[in-house]
Amino acid sequence: MFELFKNLAKWLTSGSQWAGTDGIAHRLAEHLQYSLLATLIAAAIGLPLGLLIGHTGKGAFLAINLASFGRALPTVGLVVLVFLASGLSMWPVYIALVALAVPSIVTNTYAGMTAVDPDVKDAARGQGMRGHQVLFQVELPLALPLIMTGLRLALIQVVSTATVAAYVSFGGLGRFVFDGLAQRDLVQVLGGAVLVAVVAIVLDLGLSGLQRFLFRHRTA
Amino acid sequence: MNRRTLLGALAGTAVAVPVLSSCASGVTSLDGGGSTGGGSASSKNGVTIGTANFTENQVLGYLYAAALEAAGVKVKVRPNLGTREIVFPALKSGDIDLLPEYQGSLLTYLQPRSKVAEAGEMQNALTLALPSGLQVLPYGIAEDADCFVVTRATARKYGLTSLADLAKHNGKLVIGASAEVKTRQVGVVGLKDVYGVEFKEFKSLDSDGPLVKGALKKGDVDVANLFTTDTDIKANDWVVLTDPKTLIPSQHIVPLIADRVADPTVRKALARLGNLLTTAQLTELNRQVDKDKKDPEDVANTYAKQHGITK
Repeated sequence: MFELFKNLAKWLTSGSQWAGTDGIAHRLAEHLQYSLLATLIAAAIGLPLGLLIGHTGKGAFLAINLASFGRALPTVGLVVLVFLASGLSMWPVYIALVALAVPSIVTNTYAGMTAVDPDVKDAARGQGMRGHQVLFQVELPLALPLIMTGLRLALIQVVSTATVAAYVSFGGLGRFVFDGLAQRDLVQVLGGAVLVAVVAIVLDLGLSGLQRFLFRHRTA
Repeated sequence: MNRRTLLGALAGTAVAVPVLSSCASGVTSLDGGGSTGGGSASSKNGVTIGTANFTENQVLGYLYAAALEAAGVKVKVRPNLGTREIVFPALKSGDIDLLPEYQGSLLTYLQPRSKVAEAGEMQNALTLALPSGLQVLPYGIAEDADCFVVTRATARKYGLTSLADLAKHNGKLVIGASAEVKTRQVGVVGLKDVYGVEFKEFKSLDSDGPLVKGALKKGDVDVANLFTTDTDIKANDWVVLTDPKTLIPSQHIVPLIADRVADPTVRKALARLGNLLTTAQLTELNRQVDKDKKDPEDVANTYAKQHGITK
């Protein structure tokens, strides 16, 4: 056991391991690229959807259930399914990651919107604000902490799942996990897994720190 | 599941199998070869057949069962036990007596660094490598080996019939296979050493599964690493590249058996089956289970009846 950790430390710290297209630095960059792009696409889909159903109160049942359905989809299964239809490209990976990220964004945005005090919305309308003004000047700012939480959750989930890219021959930190398993190289598997965990934790801490800073004057 | 997954799952334990302590188990004896420690082999109390957790191995297990039953031996089949990591110890501990195996994979399990590839040499290497109490019987003519295939169109375009032809197109072709093939002798490493082949790119996909076959079909990869008993090779009219320099180790099907039950009745029944069952027939039996969703036991029994093993 001790030997394993010693080898793991050696693997993580050796300079040659970090260099080149097979190196940790490049794989890390790929991993972040996949994760950020997938989360951005998911946000572009999930945010308007969540705001719309939160603001109008219509279609919530359908949207939330569809989102839960997306959450229950097995990611690897989805990757294979899209792969069989589209062939070898990044499409299967991005579609699966976006499907994973959209639910937390939609449900949190919706939850944030519904948590806005109805009296506040009434008062805004009473002052003569129009629908879009209520949405962008009252509801959105008040719902922002929960919306941010949704985005953070989505990103963390995507970062920990972006290893599937390696399943269909692409890069990212999953490369170490899949190659290590196939080549019976336990140190490589552990190294990849540890790196994914570290990236997820660092991003989570960073984003929640940012959230606390941005909303430091709020109680909610 | 397939043969390589079975092999892939065994991790470090392979090394722990005692390799050197095994030499004297009846190898030199002429009368049946199965007796160790004075006790003589007998199948009177029945033979328990185990199989690993993939289609072909189960079919083979039931074929063994049919052959032994026809010879009057009482048989029990315990199918789908798991990977070699589980099945091999079960054989050593006596929970099962007989197991359909593959020469090359079994030898790699026993001796990870072995480079023996030819069928006869491999049989000797196996006999030497097995722990005492276990032996391999003569190998059958059917084989489930690694192979490298291209589509008919690719074969025509580049004039490919053997692995050696790949070297004429170095830096142009993309190979798809599971990740270990990149660093393995029977893979990118050996293709370079033995045939001087260099690929443009290695695409890490799955082991003879939907990904690598889908990629080959769609032209995302030019060369794919599959197994010879894969029914899709014939169905898609893919071309298996020949291996004139014997890079790929022989994977003939071989009965791995406990000495205690390997009496002449059992040995003869299994030898008869081994001489009968061809790779093409085994491929067809796999197809009936995987594609037609038939029961492996029924498929095996039907084959046994059609070929006069049972009445």
